[in-house]
Formats: sequence, C-alpha cells, structure tokens
Amino acid sequence: MSRFAPIPPPAVNIKGFDQNYLAGFAKPIDDYVFKSQPGLSETVVEAISHYKTEPPWMRQFRKTALKIFATKPTPTWGGDLSAIDYDRISYYLRPTDRQEQRWQDVPKDIKDTFERLGIPQAERKVLAGVKAQYDSEVVYGSIKKNLAQKGVIFLGMDEGLRKHPDLVKHYFGKLIPPADNKFAALNSAVWSGGSFVYVPKGVEVKLPLQAYFRINAPNAGQFERTLIIADEGSKVHYVEGCTAPAYSSQSLHSAVVEIFIKKGARVQYTTVQNWYKTVYNLVTKRAWVEEEGEMIWTDFNMGSRLTMKYPSFLLAGKGARGETLSMALAGAGQHQDAGSKAIHLASHTTSTIISKSISKGGGRTSYRGLVSVSPTAKDVKSKVVCDALILDSKSRSDTYPTNRILNSDVTLEHEATVSKVGEEQLFYLMSRGLTEAEASKMIVSGFVAPLIKKLPLEYAVEMNRLIDLEMEGSVG
Amino acid sequence: MTTFNVKRNQHQRIILKKSGHYLINLIGAGASVEILAALSAKSDQTYDLTITTHHQAPHTTSTTLIKAVAQDNATVNLTGTIKVAKKAKNTTAFLTENILLASPTAKANAIPNLEIRTDEVKCSHAATIGKVDEDQLFYLMSRGLSKKKSAQLIIDGFLQPVIERIKNSFATAQDKSESIITERHYA
Repeated sequence: MSRFAPIPPPAVNIKGFDQNYLAGFAKPIDDYVFKSQPGLSETVVEAISHYKTEPPWMRQFRKTALKIFATKPTPTWGGDLSAIDYDRISYYLRPTDRQEQRWQDVPKDIKDTFERLGIPQAERKVLAGVKAQYDSEVVYGSIKKNLAQKGVIFLGMDEGLRKHPDLVKHYFGKLIPPADNKFAALNSAVWSGGSFVYVPKGVEVKLPLQAYFRINAPNAGQFERTLIIADEGSKVHYVEGCTAPAYSSQSLHSAVVEIFIKKGARVQYTTVQNWYKTVYNLVTKRAWVEEEGEMIWTDFNMGSRLTMKYPSFLLAGKGARGETLSMALAGAGQHQDAGSKAIHLASHTTSTIISKSISKGGGRTSYRGLVSVSPTAKDVKSKVVCDALILDSKSRSDTYPTNRILNSDVTLEHEATVSKVGEEQLFYLMSRGLTEAEASKMIVSGFVAPLIKKLPLEYAVEMNRLIDLEMEGSVG
Repeated sequence: MTTFNVKRNQHQRIILKKSGHYLINLIGAGASVEILAALSAKSDQTYDLTITTHHQAPHTTSTTLIKAVAQDNATVNLTGTIKVAKKAKNTTAFLTENILLASPTAKANAIPNLEIRTDEVKCSHAATIGKVDEDQLFYLMSRGLSKKKSAQLIIDGFLQPVIERIKNSFATAQDKSESIITERHYA
C-alpha cells in the first residue's frame, strides 16, 4: 500500500463499524471453491493435506502437530485468550482455483479489494515482486526476471513445497518445531499459504520482497507459514503488511516464520500489522543466525484485538548480530503484548532491542522480552531500550524484561521509561499556533520517528499516515 | 514476604541485605521511599531478591538502587517491579539494578518490571550486567597491586555509591527499618 495511491473513500456507513478504519471494508464472497467445515479435527487436517496433494511426510507432520496442539495448555501469562473458540473457525479456504500470474486474470471481486489497498500502484513503483495473500492462498504472484536469473526463489509456501521438496523438508519446522508452543502446533497442523524464499550464495536482493496478507471471511483463521533461507553472504529484505476488513466476530491469525541465516548473510524482516480490531494475532517468529550473520526485525503493531508476538534470534555463530525495532500502538479494547528475544549461544555476538509503545483510549501495551547468554558465549554485548508513552489515564503500559546471564564476559544494558505527553512540550507547540490535537500528533510522531526511519520509504509514509489516523480524536 | 506500608507524607528509607520477597506499599498521598541494597554473593551462594513497589496513592515517589556482586560460582537473582495504580497520579518511580559478575562462572538474572495503569507518571528502570573492567584492572596492576587486590578494589568501588548513601541515611536517620548491610563493607 502506498501513499501515492489514491486514498479510498470512506466505507459505506455500516452500523457499529469504525468509520476511521480505512481498510475496513469487506467484500461479499460466497463462491469459495473449498471451505473446510468450522472446527478442528484429524479429518479437517487430512482434507487440507489431501486437497493440496502434499507428500506423506507433510501429512504426518500435520497430524503429529494436531496431537501436540490438543495436549498443550493455553498460555496464561500474556493476554486474555479465553474468548477464542477453536470450533467456530474455518481452518482452510481458497477463493480461486488457480495461481494467477497476470493481473487481468485475477477475479474482479478480489481485484477490487486490492485496488482499494493500492497494491498495483505500489508494485509498479518499487516492488521487486508481490505475493498478495487473499485469505489462505497466494492468488497473484510475480517476480522480476533478474531475481529469478540470479537463482532467487520467491514462491508461495505450497508452491515451494511442490517445486523444492528437498530444500523445504530440510528446513521446515526445524527452528520452530510444532511442540514449541500451542499456536506453533496449531499452525503446523493447518498451515496454508505464506512465502518461501531462498537467496543463493553472495546474492544481494536490492529491492524489498513484499507479501501482502489479508483476511476476508468471517471467522477465517489465517495460518501462513513462511520460510526464508539466506545462503552465505547474501542479503534480502522481506516485507509483510497486514490489513483486514471489518468484522464483528473474532478471527484468529497464527503464523509461523522461520529464517535461516548462513555465514555472513543479512536478513531484514519488516512487518506492518494492521489487522482489524477483532483479530487475535498470535505469531511465532524466529531466526537462526550463523557466523557474522545479521538479523533485523522491524515489527510494527497497530491493529488486532490482542497481539502476542516476540520475534527472536538465536545468535549461533561467532560475531553474529541481531536487532529488533518494535513499535506498538494500542487503542480502545486493544492489547499489544510484543517484544523480542535475544539468545546468545556463541562468542562475540551482539544484540540490540529498541521498543516504543503508545497506549491510548484504554488500550494496553506490554513489552515482554528476554536476553539470554549461555555459559560458553564470551564477549557478548546486549542493549535493550523500551520507551512507552501513555496518552490518557485509562490506558496501561507494562514492561516485563528478563535478563538471564550465565557467564561474566558480558555487557548488558536495559533501560525503560514510561511517560505521558509533556505539558511543557504541548504548551510550547500550542504557543506556536498549533491546536492541542496537532501538537499531540507532532509529539507522538517525534516519539516514533527514529523507528519509522528504518522502514522502506513507502511504508514509512504509510506508517505516518496510519499513526495520524489513529491519533485523530485522541488528545493527550 | 515482608511488607512495608508507607503512609501519608511519610518518608522512609529501606535497606535490604538478605534474600527475600519484599512488598512496599505507598498508601498515603505524598509518601516517598528510598530502597537501597548492596549485595555481595560468594562461593556457591544464591541471592534471590524480589522487590515490588506498589504506588497506591497520588504524589508518591520511590527510588530503588540495588548493586550486587557475584563472585566464584555465586548467582544473583534480582526482580524489581514498579506498580502504579490507577489513582496514583503524579507518581515518580526509578529503579536501578546493577550487577557485577566478578568471576567467569558467576551468574545473574535481572528482571526489572513496570506495570503502569495511569498517565501523569514518570517511571523508569535500568538494569546493567557487566564484568570487572579489563582496563581498570590493568591500570591498578601497573601500579603494583596484585590481581586479586585490584579486583577487590574495583568491586568495593562498584558498591561504594550505595554504601555511601546507606551511611548518610544513618547519619540523618529518623527511622530505621531493616537491618544493616554486610559487616565487611560497612566497616
């Protein structure tokens, strides 16, 4: 989505829907080719696997994961998950039969939705390739020829499994096994869609690879699965952006993202999460970083009812680096429980985690993080900074960092501050002729500016616009 | 668990030297508290110190400074939580946890938490974990001190700021609450 795209007119006035939410429109779709019955059972899992004509090992993987899901307790330490009713969720649907290659072949209904999100414009301008995920399947995909020539693979996960079964089998579920947590197990059992990226040795992908996810059926769970492999000395920036249309019933989004970074490679993974405010966003993201490799998570959470997401990196090789830039904005009824985990397994590794959160209108933001240094990891440096801004007295902000250091050759710093929009700052700006609302907006923009600078241009612009939109009508 | 209640416009200094779970409630408007601890863990000792500062009234202030040294195979676990209730407007709270790991096999867990339920607050926390600085050690040894003596000086210097504040607080003490810190450092 790009600022350069025309801003769509406000959605039709439907009672109870947030008119400020630009992406909050739902397209009526009744002709889903295949829609599994709501509810979770071995039959459903079998059906998904059969429908996708998967190899036997994947079918077995799904069935094992389903058993693990059933035995794992629901976590109680984060947000409130008690309202999720797993029996009311459809675990698989695909809007069209074929994988579309050309824009004009994409069904009109779906095209309209993308049109309003501005995808084609964005693509024409800067994108290297677009995989737009409409519900559970990649419908439209393209990749610039020169990338393909260099041997870069950028496919939907299902397509990746079909075309590169050995590569997928070697890495799939190795970093985040189904038994990792309840939602990783759920994803492993019913996953569909997501991206598969392989960057060969020494190849630098200059333009960001983008995937666009979107939920469009009520109670449709989206369980995408992404696997990124960056071979020695390669570089890639992967961007995912999320918006979901307005629904009054709850949806569940539970993704798994696994990233393998070989010697000297660098991966940046950027997320702009703007699910509608009824969506549960429970995501497991992890990167394995080898010698001199670098992982950067840029994680922006604006939407959803509850997000629980802690992108992590395992620094497994000498001199590996990890960085997380996390931003969260929680409005009325929202809880953003986000953070990051830095696990230092090797010597001379460094990590930086910077988190900025804003809560307003009764929203709650929590930073939850971990820095862990193993006994054999010498000369480790880690820095964690969490800043929180509370805009009114109804809102809440928490910080729960854990630092576990098992040897002495470590430099660790952690700092956190919580504050409100300063009276003096407001007074100064208003004395220069700004209204209170404009002044608050400006202070908030300044607060998040250091993180937004790290985004690709069109996302930075979109982010600023989203923040402006969210800030409207809220005065600090 | 040991509980302290700080009442309206009262100022209290609390000095902790033992492992344990402490709850400090600021229950009256204008209450303020200063919590100090200088810990030194040796051999196979484990220090577990959990401090929860609960601001329940407006205009309350808390300052917490904990410095801990872990030597030999010792482990230091520090959990400091600042809670600010909805009605505790104009709260100021600071929490600092500094841990020095003086041997390669020493271990530390530092968990500084914040739970803030209102605006009009100034709250921050900081935690650091580090080792004996190589340059400082080199300098002291170049002046003719043994490695052991040099390291000890650095450790003493690390704890000094807290010990100073504790001494001062006794000099001006109105109310003593908890026991004094370890004899060796206080001597």
